[in-house]
Amino acid sequence: MSDDIVITGMGVITPIGGDVETFWSANLEGRSGIVREERMDTTGLPCGWTAGLIPEDIKAKVAAEYGAPDRSWGDSLMLASVDQALGDARLDELPAQDGPAALVYARVWPGPTGSFPQDYVTHMEDLAERYDRIGNEPAAVLEHLRGKHLPPETRDLSSYPSEIAERLGTAVIPVRLEATCSGGLRAIAEAARLLRSGRAQYAVVSASVSRNTPYVLSQYGQLMALSRWKGDPAQASMPFDKRRTGMVINESAGALVLETAEHAARRGMTQSYAVIGGWGLAVDTRHMTAPSVDMIERVMRTALDEAGAHPDDVDTVNAHGTSTRLNDVTEARALHELFGERMADLDVSAVKSLTGHGSAASGVVETAVAALTMCRGVIPPVTTTTEPDPACAVRTSLTPVRRPVRTVLKNSFGFGGQYASMLFRRPATPRPAPEPV
Amino acid sequence: MASEPAGRQDRPDIVVTGLGVISPAGIGAVPLWEAMAAGKTFFDTGGHDGPAPALPWPSASVDTTEITWPAGRDWANAGKYANQSARWAVAVALQALGQAGIDGDTEDVRGGTVMAVGSSSDELSDVIPQLASRFRHDRRPLAKFLHDEVPDYSYIRGIPSQLGQFVSMASGFRGSNVAAYGEAAAGGAGALALAVRLLESGELDRVLVVGVAPPLTITAMAAFDQDEPLGTRATAGAGPFDAERSGTLLGQGAAAVLLERAEAARGTALARLAGCEVLVAADVMASAEQVVGAVLADADTTPTAWWAHGAGSARLDTAETRAVLPRVDGLPVTGSKGTIGNAFECSALIDTALVVESLARGELPPVGLLRRPDPGLGGLDPVMGEARPLGPAPSALVTAFNQGRHSTAAGALVITTAHEDSTDDGKART
Repeated sequence: MSDDIVITGMGVITPIGGDVETFWSANLEGRSGIVREERMDTTGLPCGWTAGLIPEDIKAKVAAEYGAPDRSWGDSLMLASVDQALGDARLDELPAQDGPAALVYARVWPGPTGSFPQDYVTHMEDLAERYDRIGNEPAAVLEHLRGKHLPPETRDLSSYPSEIAERLGTAVIPVRLEATCSGGLRAIAEAARLLRSGRAQYAVVSASVSRNTPYVLSQYGQLMALSRWKGDPAQASMPFDKRRTGMVINESAGALVLETAEHAARRGMTQSYAVIGGWGLAVDTRHMTAPSVDMIERVMRTALDEAGAHPDDVDTVNAHGTSTRLNDVTEARALHELFGERMADLDVSAVKSLTGHGSAASGVVETAVAALTMCRGVIPPVTTTTEPDPACAVRTSLTPVRRPVRTVLKNSFGFGGQYASMLFRRPATPRPAPEPV
Repeated sequence: MASEPAGRQDRPDIVVTGLGVISPAGIGAVPLWEAMAAGKTFFDTGGHDGPAPALPWPSASVDTTEITWPAGRDWANAGKYANQSARWAVAVALQALGQAGIDGDTEDVRGGTVMAVGSSSDELSDVIPQLASRFRHDRRPLAKFLHDEVPDYSYIRGIPSQLGQFVSMASGFRGSNVAAYGEAAAGGAGALALAVRLLESGELDRVLVVGVAPPLTITAMAAFDQDEPLGTRATAGAGPFDAERSGTLLGQGAAAVLLERAEAARGTALARLAGCEVLVAADVMASAEQVVGAVLADADTTPTAWWAHGAGSARLDTAETRAVLPRVDGLPVTGSKGTIGNAFECSALIDTALVVESLARGELPPVGLLRRPDPGLGGLDPVMGEARPLGPAPSALVTAFNQGRHSTAAGALVITTAHEDSTDDGKART
């Protein structure tokens, strides 16, 4: 029996779709979820006029089904995407279990200040009223707080893992991790390692981000990382385009079910989305925010080595592609170092062109695209990159590229010197597209 | 664990080769262990960085004047991205690395870092209310106002894994860096478990696990108290497992544990980590029952002592005792939280350092502030008054939990002497 680790279930809540099929279609059609951020006055900021926002009807549905007084919006998003993935993997049909599952997740939340602009405004009004009345005097502040309901975000603790354990009907080995924007891909690696160790036979991986507040915007603005594009918002994120001006933050969530191929086969799941080939992880200490070519090249080579693959075996690259000046050219140079002359013919996709950047959630959400790229034999276009940057010289397409894809190399990087890369293989029996309803 | 896990014999030996501790007792595990043995406690209602006297919760505070940031241009440049937690993290990391003889000058891609760092401390907790007040009279839009007025780099300084980048600088470890924390952490046991998997898989040869519990904000303290009342006195009888205990006492601290594959270790083995895992089930007692059972089955040794979490809350002490005692009946039990309080994110790492010290000394120190064991906790045998000899070939079960009713994670570790035929070669002293 194969000791492969396979992806058997997927779920997403994104600016371009609240389920996997809608999301995939939007990727192929080049339908953007990036809009003008009209909930905040961004006058005077050197950035931040656009954001990838989950459509209001999807938000309302998630809120209605998953909203609860002591549950953060980030947890609601994760639970919604996890339920999609569990249903997709038919884990609700799992019989009595003989060991724990694994749960690896990354939740990017802004703390007790809420996920939405108005939450933060209210928070600031409350603080101002308090400060004007009692200052920061500890005993008085405590007395003030004692009359208020303090949400779980205040403790940075939640019941999310026990809710998942309850859904699965078994204990979970929990890992809540944070590795900045590489966290999603890192979570997949941690889950795969847990499965390979034999400590669990299937795993839920999830991540969410929702933090479009004036505070977060102001801080990314300080870092000069956000898009300064003032034209059509749908064009604001343009990875590897010579006009790119920065990234666009988004709100999103994604979930995957990973399991050993043996476990999947034992319960009749003979089809899967992807096989985890290998991964590379690294940390660099030379700079806090800037990426480096050698580290990106290192993690990509490690991913290939661990998978027993050669650069020639890579059919396409699902890039980190943030649309910042520095990230894209650095990633491109690393790709050139790894692939050499093949770069002229190597198709590269960049999901953030349509969704914006979902921080840790991006690694999970974009892995869903990598998996479907192989299952469906279609490489999504990068429709916003209409003027490719010759300094990057990355081959992107304005239309879907239809051809068999055996492997996808997926990259994710982050502040704090975080680097991750993972090679996915097409499974022997890929999941077909669902029958049209 | 799973139905067909890799056998214990197939897994590499994981050894502890370096330890670092910052606690209210000072720098290193030795002063803390000796303080426990002497029956000292460190709670106050003010002083250092602790809460003001007017707050109702005693806290064991760290004396920050002893903590220094490394010298040199690179460290000076990096300092603007470092908050108090980062400074504590680097300090304990350097202790552990020094003990293992690792100077960090050479890049080591076979080494990695795992951070156990919460986000319930906030350097802006006093700043933002002032800014909120000023904003009422400011003409700038809120986002622009915050862009201009919030101290530079504060957002980056608050990222848990950012601390790991500094630990990577100190260690030279470039294999990877990740933070494992929050409701899945069980006081840092989750970070240790993640590190073990990195080592057992062969992906890395050594992992430096660093946890930091800085002073909590008043808001965080109030939130924890709202979830489950915190302890309001730190006098005899307020300690873990006491019949009169009234809630968890707050603590601060930092700890580093350097784990290595024995076959590739650069440092001298101080102890062996024979098993480690964290589980979440429907409730905390079920989590504890399952994780202790799994870890004891996984370890190839039977512990001779139990280093308990001992939160000091009626609920958690009862759940811990009921879940664990049937599996370790008759073992002496101790815990650190009656001496230094609960250093939330790194309590299991501090306890790991204290266990290694105990194994080296062959003695288990007593539980602080324990006067009369709660008869409702069954046949518990807590160490009281003075340290108790451990006997030959000692080993210990360590249990760890999260604070609060909403977190049901439970962690367990089994730590043995590096060579089970000897009890003390003096090398574990930190």
